[in-house]
Amino acid sequence: MSKYQYVPEPALVKGDHDFSSLTRLVTDINLRETPKAWYLAMMGANALLMLMVVAIGYLIWEGTGIWGLNNPVGWGWAIINFVWWVGIGHAGTLISAILFLFRQDWRTAINRFAEAMTIFAVMCAGVFPAIHVGRIWVVYWMFPIPNQMAMWPNFNSPLLWDVFAVSTYFTVSLLFWYVGLVPDLATIRDRATDKIRKVAYGIFSLGWTGSNRHWWNYEKAYMILAGLATPLVLSVHTIVSFDFAVSMIPGWHTTIFPPYFVAGAIFSGFAMVLTLMIVARKIYGMKDIMTDDHMEKMNIVILVTGSMVGFAYIMEFFIAWYSGVEYEKAIFMLRATGPYAWAYWAMMTCNVFSPQFFWSKKLRRSVGFTFFISIVVNIGMWFERFVITVTSLANDYLPSSWDYYSPTIWDVMTYVGTFGLFFTMFLLFLRFLPMIALAEVKAVIPLADPHNYDEETNEYVAPKVEVPEPQSEKV
Amino acid sequence: MLQPTARVAIINNVKDSEITDQQMSEEVKQTTYWKSLKELANNKEYQKFAEREFPENATELIDGVSRRGFLRVMGASVALAGLAACRRPVQKILPYSKQPEDVVPGVPLYYATAMPVQGNLVGLIAENHEGRPTKLEGNDLHPASKGGTSIFNQAAILGLYDPDRSRSPLNNGKKATKEDFAEFAASHFANTGQRVAFISEANSSPTYNSLKEQVRSRFSNSTWVTYEPFGEDNIIEGNRIAFGNRLRTHYNYTNADVIVSLNDDFMASTHPNSVEYAKQVSARRKVTDTNGEMNRIYAVEDAFTLTGSYADHRLRLKASEIEAFTYALAAALSTRINGLSAFNGYSNQFFDHKWITVLADELTSNAGSSALSVGSQYKPEVQAAVAAINQALGNAGSTVNYLEVPHFDDQNNHQALSDVVAEMKAGNIDTVVMVGVNPVHTAPADLDFENALTNVETVVNLSDYVDETAKKTTWHVNRAHFLEAWGDGYSYGGARSVIQPQIQPLHNGLSEVEFLNTIVNGELTSGYDLVQNTFKGYYSSGFDTRWTNILHDGIDTTDSYSAANVRIASGFASAMNQATSNVSTTSGMEVVIRPDATLYDGRFANLGWLQELPDPMTKITWDNVALMSPATAEKLGVSEQTAGKDITDVVEITLNGKSLKIAAWIQPGHADDSITLTTGYGREGIGRVANSYMDYTAGGVDVYPLRGTDTMFYASADVSNTGDTYEIACVQDHHSLEGRDMYRQASISEYKENPDFASFESVHTYPVPGMAEAKENGDTDGPISLFDEQTYPDYEPQWGMAIDLNSCFGCGVCVIACQSENNIPVIGKKEVKRGREMHWIRNDRYYVGDDADSPQAVHQPVPCMHCELAPCEQVCPVAATTHSEDGMNQMTYNRCIGTRYCANNCPYKVRRFNFFNYPKEYLTTGDDPDIIQMAMNPEVTVRFRGVMEKCTYCVQRVNRAKIEAKKETGSPKPADGTVKTACQQACPADAIYFGDLTDDNSEVARMKRNERNFQMLEELNTRPRTSYMAKLTNPNPALA
Repeated sequence: MSKYQYVPEPALVKGDHDFSSLTRLVTDINLRETPKAWYLAMMGANALLMLMVVAIGYLIWEGTGIWGLNNPVGWGWAIINFVWWVGIGHAGTLISAILFLFRQDWRTAINRFAEAMTIFAVMCAGVFPAIHVGRIWVVYWMFPIPNQMAMWPNFNSPLLWDVFAVSTYFTVSLLFWYVGLVPDLATIRDRATDKIRKVAYGIFSLGWTGSNRHWWNYEKAYMILAGLATPLVLSVHTIVSFDFAVSMIPGWHTTIFPPYFVAGAIFSGFAMVLTLMIVARKIYGMKDIMTDDHMEKMNIVILVTGSMVGFAYIMEFFIAWYSGVEYEKAIFMLRATGPYAWAYWAMMTCNVFSPQFFWSKKLRRSVGFTFFISIVVNIGMWFERFVITVTSLANDYLPSSWDYYSPTIWDVMTYVGTFGLFFTMFLLFLRFLPMIALAEVKAVIPLADPHNYDEETNEYVAPKVEVPEPQSEKV
Repeated sequence: MLQPTARVAIINNVKDSEITDQQMSEEVKQTTYWKSLKELANNKEYQKFAEREFPENATELIDGVSRRGFLRVMGASVALAGLAACRRPVQKILPYSKQPEDVVPGVPLYYATAMPVQGNLVGLIAENHEGRPTKLEGNDLHPASKGGTSIFNQAAILGLYDPDRSRSPLNNGKKATKEDFAEFAASHFANTGQRVAFISEANSSPTYNSLKEQVRSRFSNSTWVTYEPFGEDNIIEGNRIAFGNRLRTHYNYTNADVIVSLNDDFMASTHPNSVEYAKQVSARRKVTDTNGEMNRIYAVEDAFTLTGSYADHRLRLKASEIEAFTYALAAALSTRINGLSAFNGYSNQFFDHKWITVLADELTSNAGSSALSVGSQYKPEVQAAVAAINQALGNAGSTVNYLEVPHFDDQNNHQALSDVVAEMKAGNIDTVVMVGVNPVHTAPADLDFENALTNVETVVNLSDYVDETAKKTTWHVNRAHFLEAWGDGYSYGGARSVIQPQIQPLHNGLSEVEFLNTIVNGELTSGYDLVQNTFKGYYSSGFDTRWTNILHDGIDTTDSYSAANVRIASGFASAMNQATSNVSTTSGMEVVIRPDATLYDGRFANLGWLQELPDPMTKITWDNVALMSPATAEKLGVSEQTAGKDITDVVEITLNGKSLKIAAWIQPGHADDSITLTTGYGREGIGRVANSYMDYTAGGVDVYPLRGTDTMFYASADVSNTGDTYEIACVQDHHSLEGRDMYRQASISEYKENPDFASFESVHTYPVPGMAEAKENGDTDGPISLFDEQTYPDYEPQWGMAIDLNSCFGCGVCVIACQSENNIPVIGKKEVKRGREMHWIRNDRYYVGDDADSPQAVHQPVPCMHCELAPCEQVCPVAATTHSEDGMNQMTYNRCIGTRYCANNCPYKVRRFNFFNYPKEYLTTGDDPDIIQMAMNPEVTVRFRGVMEKCTYCVQRVNRAKIEAKKETGSPKPADGTVKTACQQACPADAIYFGDLTDDNSEVARMKRNERNFQMLEELNTRPRTSYMAKLTNPNPALA
């Protein structure tokens, strides 16, 4: 025997599950009667959504001036929120595409969930670039639509790249998500007893019968889409960062922005997945599928990306000093010590210091602590965007133009309102779509990989399933 | 160039067309507008509106409401109803049935006129579009203008179209017509024996003054008082003490090598002759090469003034100490020169002051080419001492002239006012006639003028607004604006002009000559006849030609005030002995009352442009404050303004038993233990702009209650911190350059040693990064660039601007000129507070120097830089901002979707965003918005909400000149000097040069070749077309 012992990966699905119990566990949620609690939650989410509609309606009626923007600070909460939501979206694609290509089977428990989050987060993000402009009724001029003015948009502008990047990202994510859904939709169709469900799920399951040919096409399509989505994970936030990096404002004009933005996006996206997952698995009793092992793995990702972000913060300071550019030096000193120091230190605390607790295995596996940190991280990432967007504009080249930015009630309402949009969509998702990629999870349980023979004699033996004891949990 | 054209023939023709216009608007009003509250109540729109719980948009939550508090009237629901009704007014267009001579639609006409302020005319050229004046510019031929203007001259056009002007005569508050008034005047003033008091503003009009003589002879029991709250009475009295005659002091700074200002802010627009002085002083500081020489300016003052910021040396002293300082200077000079024997042996606490020695030496060694002046508010004895010093130095006749002004009253008008008020109180006055003055507001508080009026049976006044005084009258007559009525007068220095009207009186008002004539003769006579009759008396022959020439040129060169040959009067020495033995300075805290830098004595309070023009030194808009030094603030426990939100402490000032609460403001460079207050704010019932609201919490405070007959200028007072706070709208939060290089300066000797001191390399010790690499590639325009550089063809002119920081003294007239030319909206205090000011050119003011108590203040006007590699153009997603072939960074409003990315990416932060539909607020509120709309320049688009705007280099002027040039010469390059931007034209210091860079001989090209020329943020490689010329100072080594 070698001194190295093979330590098997912990089982991905805990509990004594077979295919049919998994099917029941996941799809019963979509088939049973709508619980009252869901309606309550939906009402809350809809109220917030209405808040957003009102805030946007008044914005269109009255003008951008209802926000707290001023002369040096032309971008405020709208752009912060846009970047924040887009960043959150990144975790879904990373989990579903990149981890798929790297054959990380643990992704199957959370990929559906995370992808849904991605799509809804991108929808929330998409609201802001559309409404933050002064003349909303001509915002379509950003698109390269042939027109009587014979005017193309300005292809030099990062805002235009944004339009392409985000819309491509949304489209590919949606397709990817939908393709993955098809076998599961068929499962629900097959289990549905009422007519409406039969027809609706029937239509969307595209005639899936589970034939070999279907699976073959499905696997190919899924692989191709994963390949397509992978570069998008990097490109979207890179291009979002170009909005800042391509400009010439001190604190924005930085080559570190693309990797730093992508790391930050994954950081905040994983935190958001954790926040949602911890709540959902509790409510829907999914702890066997979304296990503490998943949580721990995700916490490690948070620790790594959080440290990358922290490294970027420090690197920015170093480069500002190393460059010798007085405006760069000044803006970083002002960030840490100037009028927005409170925001800067909130960012540092939340993003750089708080994930360091995850060096401890105990804390990584603590559900309550993880939930707390996941929220802290998202607050921190919001502040990061605030610090980048506002401080650089407020204190740029000419001291005479320096001014202080503070939001109005309308900024806050619009932001809070997007949570209404997000949760409305998410609740609909939980209610009507399988929140677990059922077909994929089935493929990773031991039952799907039977070794029905004796390794020495090559004789048939009946399948013997060994399932580790579920771990006891403290919630 | 602007060609003033004779107006004589025009005026009658214009009448025809305007009647048509008026008829048109009458028709419109019948269908769309309402005129009175009663009529409004019958208006269906209003009834619908009144049934709603809240007027449209008027919920409390929304931002819009307080924005609507901009020009506050809009808060009134009534006005909102009007707004709803007039959104789409029905308008009919009629052709001219007869084409008026010279009028080509779309082509403006220019006529010469002149603006009186305190009776002193500044020659102007008015730009007229189809019969309405839209812009005022300086008249090159007029000595008080020489092409320059003050902020008040520029804003006068808004004054003409101010919808809050008085619209009709009022008889005991009821509307009447001017015919009614004439009828009243004929009967009331038929009794020539009645006791009449005339209180008039200063007026140099020969027509007016001959009527004044008629008044005196006709009404045997009349008294005549000329009252100006900030007039020159003390100077005149001082000259009487010194020279025995009542004379005006008129400096000629062209001849002055050394200028000493003892708290005399002669360059600021508040000085009656500021434009001429600013031209003269700055002209002596034009240095074009290393052989250049400059005058040297010393300022001794309490508050930080524009003159003080322009001076080479500045000394902080309390206002009350300047008297002693003046005598000490006279005493020091008496040991060096003859003629000041009155001060022989005199000494006081300042006698050993370092400055006294330095100034005495400087003045002595520059005898005959120095100029000493003292603030006009100082008492006559101080004025006399200064006059005597100038006389002894031989400056009289060279740098200063003492003018015989024929219309000066032979009395001390301050005393005369007190006397007449006492008579009024005693019931000894039957009728008071007030012309232009507003004594209820501005007269010394202890006179209690308002109360005195109640003892007078008949009170008649003529004023622009139904102001504090007009509300107390039996008969109020609405005054015609100077652009509406014929008039005449003299400039401060004595140049005679005719004031040509540009338009029929909008509200049927009377000019002051017509008004006075009605009182004297009991009938309405047109001002045109009155003025022409005066001028007919001047010429024995050839009147018509002369008259045409005067109107054309805007000046009558055949007459001027004559300079008196002055000698020290016999009583001077004893007057000085008495004065010097009674010198007192205020102990403890002192309060100084000055005219406001933008509202003056309050007469301009209803002009939004001036309210929103940042104070040149503090950069505060829409408010007056109690200015104090950092040390005084610390003593009072007043805290620093916080960055971003300018929330400041409120202090209570008690003087003569009266007290007021006013926001405190820390002004570095202010004298310690001294507080400066300014007048003009805190008004009530004047107009939508001027009115203060919510007592001291907005719109400033009226400080006249503190101003008594003994405390006209300064007095000691009790000041305490109330603990309340108040938010100020200040447009500049950060006052330090942070060691950055936007502003570059050197002393003239340093310049001569190192002419390249302003270059990037001199400032930073290394060349602009990327420049060497660019030169290797054969590109000498700037550092290497990633982008393909746009080419700027030679067949087009290439526009560029140079701003000479050595000339600019920060008055802010460029801002107002630009606002007038480019239809820039007024946005109101709340929006300014939120940092959304719309000015296309701003005037940055930085404090420089190590001494926080007494820093140097520098001014830097910042328009759009029109970068050749413009960062704004790269980032606009819809290509709404692009470059023209003639090198201008253009903004296409129609294409703009308002992402604000361009403004973010502008390192100079000159782009301005329409966060709301500002012009709608500005141009469509009130019951007859068409009046204010007439002030708009038809050649410039009024911008809608949600679009970006910025300085265009006055592209409308440029393109008009290009078209003209192309028609005449075939080339689109206008001759140098043909096209001037509005800021350049208005500048009294000629600090702005603009022109074609492809013409090597153009002024701007020559300036850009000067060593002092530098680009702001050159290392960013934006290649700005606007550049600066570094400031030079001329310090005295003895004070270094």
